[in-house]
Amino acid sequence: MANDLTLPHGAGGVDISLWRKPWAASAILAVCVITFWVTTGTTPAAVAYLWQWLPALLQGLWVNIQISVLAMALGTFVGLAIGALSLSPVAAWRVSTRWYVNLFRNAPVLVLIYFTTYAFPFEVRVLSWTFAFPDWLKVVLGLALPTSANVAEIFRGAIQSIPSAQWEAAQSLAFKRREIFRLIVLPQCVRRMLPPWMNLYASITMSTALASLVGVHDLVDTAQIASNTVSRTDFTILVYFTLLALFFAYCYPIARATRALERRHDRH
Amino acid sequence: MIDAVFAPVVAFFKPLGLNYAFLLDAMDRQAFWRGMGVTLELCLLVIPCSLAAGVLIAAALTSGRTWLALPTRAFVEVTRNTPTLVQLYCAFLVLNMLITQQLHQYGANPLTPLMWVVIVVSLHKGVFHAEALRAGIEAVPRVTLEAARSLGFSRRQLLWRVELPLAVRFALPSLINNLVDLVKMTAVASAIAVGDVTYESIMIWTQRDNVLELLLLILLYFGLLTWFVSVVGRWLETRLRMPGYGQ
Repeated sequence: MANDLTLPHGAGGVDISLWRKPWAASAILAVCVITFWVTTGTTPAAVAYLWQWLPALLQGLWVNIQISVLAMALGTFVGLAIGALSLSPVAAWRVSTRWYVNLFRNAPVLVLIYFTTYAFPFEVRVLSWTFAFPDWLKVVLGLALPTSANVAEIFRGAIQSIPSAQWEAAQSLAFKRREIFRLIVLPQCVRRMLPPWMNLYASITMSTALASLVGVHDLVDTAQIASNTVSRTDFTILVYFTLLALFFAYCYPIARATRALERRHDRH
Repeated sequence: MIDAVFAPVVAFFKPLGLNYAFLLDAMDRQAFWRGMGVTLELCLLVIPCSLAAGVLIAAALTSGRTWLALPTRAFVEVTRNTPTLVQLYCAFLVLNMLITQQLHQYGANPLTPLMWVVIVVSLHKGVFHAEALRAGIEAVPRVTLEAARSLGFSRRQLLWRVELPLAVRFALPSLINNLVDLVKMTAVASAIAVGDVTYESIMIWTQRDNVLELLLLILLYFGLLTWFVSVVGRWLETRLRMPGYGQ
């Protein structure tokens, strides 16, 4: 009988479908547990505290997200300019951008954050006369440095991955250098750059956790304050693993989307 | 005597606006030197540990046993998508605390902050090594394996004599890349007061207000370490290069 081979597990239909959707299963389970706790009034104290601290934690996460988005925007802007310069026919530009990229790609992000936090005020004191230069902004600058170096490298790689035959073919069709770049090379580059760029964004978002070390009130800092204020072992465990879960919830979808994009590009 | 060596150095940088006077203070100099040693020690401990972790994780992922592969997959995804600092806090502030509480009646907790850094960074980088190794194994040409099988290699011989040597060669560039990243990642140790070069520098600059000078030194030191790793990597690549495979 062919059915014996195709249906090895018999009639466990519901069971299998739940296993296949672990997210749905755990969400249902969580809702059930919470309803049980609320209706019977047996919510564990640690969970109650977590519920109380959750708005503060989410606000902290929002700070991390803001820092990451700003750093990424600034880093992309600067990085594209540097990437373009690294392809310049002038040797001096190529050498100096090479140094910039190597320096900021090989420096620990934490050290760069310390650098901008402690070293910048002295040089920007003229500006801080008129407006404040808050710590989170310095962290944005500190993260924008490695971002720009990486974006420059991604951009250079993407441009160079376009076969040079395309430049020649376009030239023979009487396109100008500028037109070839804008109409032919760049559109293909944007597609190629997107997955590594998203990867970079995820890694910059994770690096924003380091902001807590220089006194920015981000998610990690909020969790530490919560843990010290409540000062209960079970709450400490819960809050740090919530921290892990919150970062995961933000970064994992980005990673999934990146992988999906990469697979789609592989097929083309 | 050592002061005699450093005095001209300090005097040279002074007009450039860089104050390296801490080099003339025996305590500060020793602290910085100790920090450099701890960073080096961390690298030397984490590199072999992370490679071992990478092999184990890759083996677990490709074992084909669901009870092993599924939790490992989950571990890989969580590790890749959460900050190292948070992982370090979860390990050091939570697991370490629990272990200390459990061992309370037996005596002190044998795990030092340095060991936690080694464990967390090794596992973190091990995940990335595993990914590189898996890609390396997949890059071994089918035909080569079939040829070896037709020559009468057993399954074990096939793995050790043909598949792994080729896979390691294919994976080497990304493994080296991971190791360079790993060296940079050890700076996170300063977050839990392990006295690495970053931590000792913070201690010095809170006293002396010479942040820029020390940061230049730290960057130079990390640059040196990463450069050394990449030189060794390139040497290994040319040493292990097999004509006809790669390049």
